Amino acid sequence: MKGDRSKAVTLWTFVVAALIMLSAPTLVVLGASFTAGNMITFPPEGLSLKWYAAIAGATDLRDAFLRSLIVASICTAVAIPTGTLAGIALAKYRVRFAAGVQVYLLLPFTVPLIGSGIGLMLIFGRWGVLGQLWPVGVAAAVINLPFMIWAVTASAAALDPDLELAAANCGAPPLSTFLAVTVPAVMPGIITGALLMFILALNEFLVSLLLVDARIVTLPVQIYNSIRSIITPDLAAISVVFIAVAAAAIALLDRLVGLDIFLKSK
Amino acid sequence: MTTLMGTDAPFAVSVRGVNMVFDGVHAVRDATFDLEKGRFLTILGPSGSGKTTLLRMIAGFGKPTSGEVFINGLAVGSVPPHRRSIGMVFQKLALFPHMTAAENVAFPLRMRRFDARTIPDRVQRYLDLVKLGKLGDRRIHELSGGQQQRVAIARALVFEPDLLLLDEPLAALDRKLREEMQLEFRRIQRELDVTTINVTHDQREALVVSDEIIVMDHGRIQQKARPEATYRQPSNAFVANFIGVTNFIDGMVTAVDGDTIAFDRPGLAGRPGNGFRPLVGMAARGALRAEQIRIAGGREALGDVDTVFEGAVTDAIFEGERVVYEVTVPDLDGAALRVFDHDPVAHSQHEVGAAVAVGWNARDVLVFGD
Ligand SMILES: Nc1ncnc2c1ncn2[C@@H]1O[C@H](COP(=O)(O)OP(=O)(O)O)[C@@H](O)[C@H]1O
Ligand SMILES: [Mg+2]
Repeated sequence: MKGDRSKAVTLWTFVVAALIMLSAPTLVVLGASFTAGNMITFPPEGLSLKWYAAIAGATDLRDAFLRSLIVASICTAVAIPTGTLAGIALAKYRVRFAAGVQVYLLLPFTVPLIGSGIGLMLIFGRWGVLGQLWPVGVAAAVINLPFMIWAVTASAAALDPDLELAAANCGAPPLSTFLAVTVPAVMPGIITGALLMFILALNEFLVSLLLVDARIVTLPVQIYNSIRSIITPDLAAISVVFIAVAAAAIALLDRLVGLDIFLKSK
Repeated sequence: MTTLMGTDAPFAVSVRGVNMVFDGVHAVRDATFDLEKGRFLTILGPSGSGKTTLLRMIAGFGKPTSGEVFINGLAVGSVPPHRRSIGMVFQKLALFPHMTAAENVAFPLRMRRFDARTIPDRVQRYLDLVKLGKLGDRRIHELSGGQQQRVAIARALVFEPDLLLLDEPLAALDRKLREEMQLEFRRIQRELDVTTINVTHDQREALVVSDEIIVMDHGRIQQKARPEATYRQPSNAFVANFIGVTNFIDGMVTAVDGDTIAFDRPGLAGRPGNGFRPLVGMAARGALRAEQIRIAGGREALGDVDTVFEGAVTDAIFEGERVVYEVTVPDLDGAALRVFDHDPVAHSQHEVGAAVAVGWNARDVLVFGD
């Protein structure tokens, strides 16, 4: 009895500590963004929205934010078809060298980002496409693709294999079966993966840093550049907008996949 | 394309020497049978006997290792499943979870390029047929197990296939619903006159719904016959054991006189089972149905029977319309015979431990060699 209670107390202590640690940076930035003063401080000196007004007027921040959205969209657009096909293939067919493929999928996590970044920089440099936005999106897709694949694989592995046979029995040729039955059935995995890819690309910093030049900086790089000069509360404000976009994406995910009735039909 | 020669009106389905070997597992062995148009055939067998494998080869899922399947007289070996005119109800139904009931039923029509203007009417007609008329807009998970079953049937039938395949779709339902659906299958099959192959391990279902029954064991077809013949003239001891409640009495043949085979037990005799040619001195087993044994408190009360043994009741289960006894008979090496008493009200029930007499007629004992 007593042991149970002290166990519960210990457990909750850890949970609360973890929650504080995880949310502290967000809370600090959120607080600092509402400051009325001219320095980034926590707690804020007075409350105002003036830094939000400032970033609304700051074209460089706004343009960088737009560029980040474009990069994230390109990344997602590249990841959806490739990740979906790869994820379904991995789940459905006993792929030869499956173990090797799994290790390969882990590679992006084991190779330091700076390594992949330099590699991509060399490739894109050779092709002479640096200085445009799309290679940054493609790079983000390449680096984060395992997340997409895993999300789809998880969905596809739970699929009843008879579903595709049933479609064939209904007269659907293989391509129609894939489009009309397989893809909708793994849609929760595709949505999850796509939103993850979007958020990851939106936040992507290190590889962007290597692939962008002064004309096409993305938002994380723009913020980083600003920090090197002076730290003003407008950076806190733009960070909050940033966090809000990511949170909106997660809320969307929860809504789409959470509401997703066909998940529960099994 | 190869055609099956011989008959004017081709069989709806002909299976010729079909084998299926999955790395090491011989799932279907040399299956051969014909099925006439409009018939309801049930493939009956224990789990793992190869029923699903055989059915799937007919549907086109999995090419036979050897042998050939003919549909309406045409070899379909090289016809992919989506080009066969076959409706199938899967064991786990395999309804499309992201579609409504009506969309599921419309799917085969869209895929088979039916005139789009006729699709809604036709879908409604088949939803009505399976008594789901008002539930077309429901999502699959909003329907009960029995209703999902009906959607699957409508989806399999809506395009008027040449052949309907059912892979134990009732196995997951509770008994009452299952028996209701069995009759439902029968009704729909008669109404549409569609050739049907049903797979089950439920002997009662096989007897109730079928025109013909194929009994399978270990990948091999043991018997193909009408339900009554399957029950009354099982082709071997396996079939006799699998359908109905059967007692086996092992012994040695001591005399053969025409259709009467005498055993090395006083008064025990039988007639040869399907194709069995007994020889004196051979080991053989007599198969005797539980309902063909009479039971009474003493020899005199049994009435006129060929064979009588005395024994003791070792178990008595009251099942309502009948009492199921287990009677241990010392003169049969202590064999425990299962006996159905279908008239439990007329005479009082025998208690466990009571001394009883059991008796039967020699014509009810079928003798097999295996
Ligand atoms: N795809 C497969 N791969 C390997 N073995 C299989 C496969 N399908 C069925 N089997 C085996 O074939 C035998 C018959 O299976 P099945 O046709 O499903 O029997 P039933 O439907 O009568 O229960 C079983 O031993 C089963 O394990
Ligand atoms: Mg089966």
